[in-house]
Amino acid sequence: MATSETSAPPRRDWNALGDEAFRRAAAEFFAAHVPAHLRHLSRRPRWAEVKPWYLTLSAHGWLVPAWPVEWGGMGLSQSKVLVYLEELERSGAPRVMDQGLMNIGPLLIARGTDEQRRRFLPKILSGEHTWCQGYSEPNAGSDLASLRTEARIEGDEFVINGSKIWTSVAFDASHMFALVRTDKTVKKQAGISFVMIDMRQSGVKVRPIRNIAGHEELCEVFLDDVRTPLANLVGELNRGWDVAKALLGFERIWSGSPRQSMLALLRLKQLARAAGKLHDPVFVDKLAQVTMDVLDSAAAYERFAQIMRTGGSFGFEVSMLKIWATETCQRVTELMVEAAGDLGTLNGEVDVDGEAIDILYPFLDCRAFTIYGGSSQVQRNILAKNVLELPA
Amino acid sequence: MDTATQERADQIRMLRDSAADFVAGHADTRRLRERRGTLPGHDPAACRQMAALGWFGITVAEAHGGLGLGFGELAAVLQALGKGLLGEPMVATVFAARLLQHGANAALKQRLLPAVADGTALPAVAWQEGVGGIDAAAIDTTARAEGDGFVLDGRKRFVAGAAGANGFVVTARGAGGPGLFWVDASSFGVSLQHEWRADETPADVLTLAGVRVAAAEVVAAPGAPALAAFDRAFDEAIVLAAAEMLGVAEGALSMALAYMRTRVQFGKPIGSFQALQHKAADLYVQQELLRAVLDEAVAKLDAGIGGDERACVASRCKARAADAGLRITREVIQLHGAIGFTDEYDAGLHLKRALVLAGWLGNAAAHRQRFARRAGEALAA
Repeated sequence: MATSETSAPPRRDWNALGDEAFRRAAAEFFAAHVPAHLRHLSRRPRWAEVKPWYLTLSAHGWLVPAWPVEWGGMGLSQSKVLVYLEELERSGAPRVMDQGLMNIGPLLIARGTDEQRRRFLPKILSGEHTWCQGYSEPNAGSDLASLRTEARIEGDEFVINGSKIWTSVAFDASHMFALVRTDKTVKKQAGISFVMIDMRQSGVKVRPIRNIAGHEELCEVFLDDVRTPLANLVGELNRGWDVAKALLGFERIWSGSPRQSMLALLRLKQLARAAGKLHDPVFVDKLAQVTMDVLDSAAAYERFAQIMRTGGSFGFEVSMLKIWATETCQRVTELMVEAAGDLGTLNGEVDVDGEAIDILYPFLDCRAFTIYGGSSQVQRNILAKNVLELPA
Repeated sequence: MDTATQERADQIRMLRDSAADFVAGHADTRRLRERRGTLPGHDPAACRQMAALGWFGITVAEAHGGLGLGFGELAAVLQALGKGLLGEPMVATVFAARLLQHGANAALKQRLLPAVADGTALPAVAWQEGVGGIDAAAIDTTARAEGDGFVLDGRKRFVAGAAGANGFVVTARGAGGPGLFWVDASSFGVSLQHEWRADETPADVLTLAGVRVAAAEVVAAPGAPALAAFDRAFDEAIVLAAAEMLGVAEGALSMALAYMRTRVQFGKPIGSFQALQHKAADLYVQQELLRAVLDEAVAKLDAGIGGDERACVASRCKARAADAGLRITREVIQLHGAIGFTDEYDAGLHLKRALVLAGWLGNAAAHRQRFARRAGEALAA
């Protein structure tokens, strides 16, 4: 059994519940189990801090909503996965090391070999393996396919040289899944392979990068004669581009959810109350505008979620969600800085008439949202080409 | 999806398809241009056909000769009509019919609504005065009690659909506050003057000089229930105007996209230029936001949600419609370049219809303020 390493969690057929009943069950579970000291953090906690919570989820069988039951998941339908994520977010639960749960796990289940599944999945559930994603490189950002980190075959191993960048929490990861170049003689997308790498070897160096919000979550990862067995190739050699694209399914709607802009709106209202701005008609007009923008973002998200719930599928038009959700979130934080006036020049938590509020953090932090996961400009390119059918 | 939901979705799809077929057969911008500046401001023959298809009676109860369907069905039809610039005067007529419906006069409903449903009567609403605005209580027109009826005096403005109307639902202030009154177009003391809107359809000034309204023609007596009835019909009307606007915007954007695929400059189709692609993508985002908030608003109307929650979603819908519709139709002119600036090209027709639909029944700024007022504590919470 895939779950042999954890104590057997109670099994339930969650899909037998209606979505609303499942929502209540999820809300109750999170309310009862999320540790109080880890709720509503404004930063992403380190693995050591958050691991006990991860293991709690695992022990109760609530760690991976989307994996099939046979591999230790909850086997939820797509719509219930969405409900799970929404309730998890609402509970204020901290973000865990989730690349294994959200990305490599589902990928191995869909496209890995049985041997790979048996070797890796149980160790994700047990927390022994933590994963990071090695895609971007210093010269391959939006143009990801031009990546140059190279893997050459020596015997039954790949030998990998190059560097990855913007890798989130690489310092807490035991493993990395990465796109590497295995053929330089063909069209750039056709010479890329998808490999899994054990980070616990001497050729791997991780350098955290401090971001403009003052946090060190992103990293640069240097790979110097790093070795990984050929058995760690996912999919076929030189077909890694297709493998990576297959991973994008769920992310496309989740990255356009209104959760971040709703949170930003709550912070804006907190500031507005504390700073007495709710009596300023000019501010209230702007507040009404961004509130409607956020609610419209939720309405658009709901349309796609509804399609998913009823078993339908959608195409590239979903890109509109991320553009609007992330740009709206930024406008909300911009209004927060504007409303703060002089207070908006102060760093960190500042005293606003007796209430401690960090005004600049949301503003700075959300600059990243329109960059990662396909920048706003890349999303517009996608819409123009695939939805509006404009010529190349 | 349960069976009832599925059947409803199929029904809406059928209506949408039939409206699209109608538009394909009737959209004719040459005839639309010929009608500019003429009365009554719509195509009576096309209206008769729409009525024969039952569209004016979609939300009229079956007991009153209508189809007794929901706003989802009517919004689908209006969206299709908007695309072909054939919306006039449906929203204005339905607004009046909904006021009658939400009023307290059963005999009047029985008398007037069947004629709306079969298209033989096109009533209009006379509620605004002076320089406009969407506060229904801010009126000077008076309703003086006389016998068991009223006498109305005042001057109404921005009355859409007035030129072809058989009568008006008029707001006027009585002792208990504003009330709603049915005034037949042929009543003694009623006169109309035409003002011309951006799209060269008329919006009338209605003068009421000692107009007698019998008790049998009081839609809702002065007082709070009359204002509540108005609020409800107004929310329904602004959501329907948003549905027409979505169609107008879709028509404009698809026209621009077709042009961008074929117009060649610098040796390439202009649609291949990223600056224009990104502009088009932004317009698409606005169009889809409008579609999403319209879906939400229509579902809430059909679910019978009332009060401030209904007002908030309806105002959000109208505000998005006004902003998105104007932005799309304006930028579509720019995407076309000089040809878009000419009167002979259809892009301008879409912009002008959008100007009317954006401002009529309250523009984005007015509905942002209404949203803030009606959201009240929720906005600050």
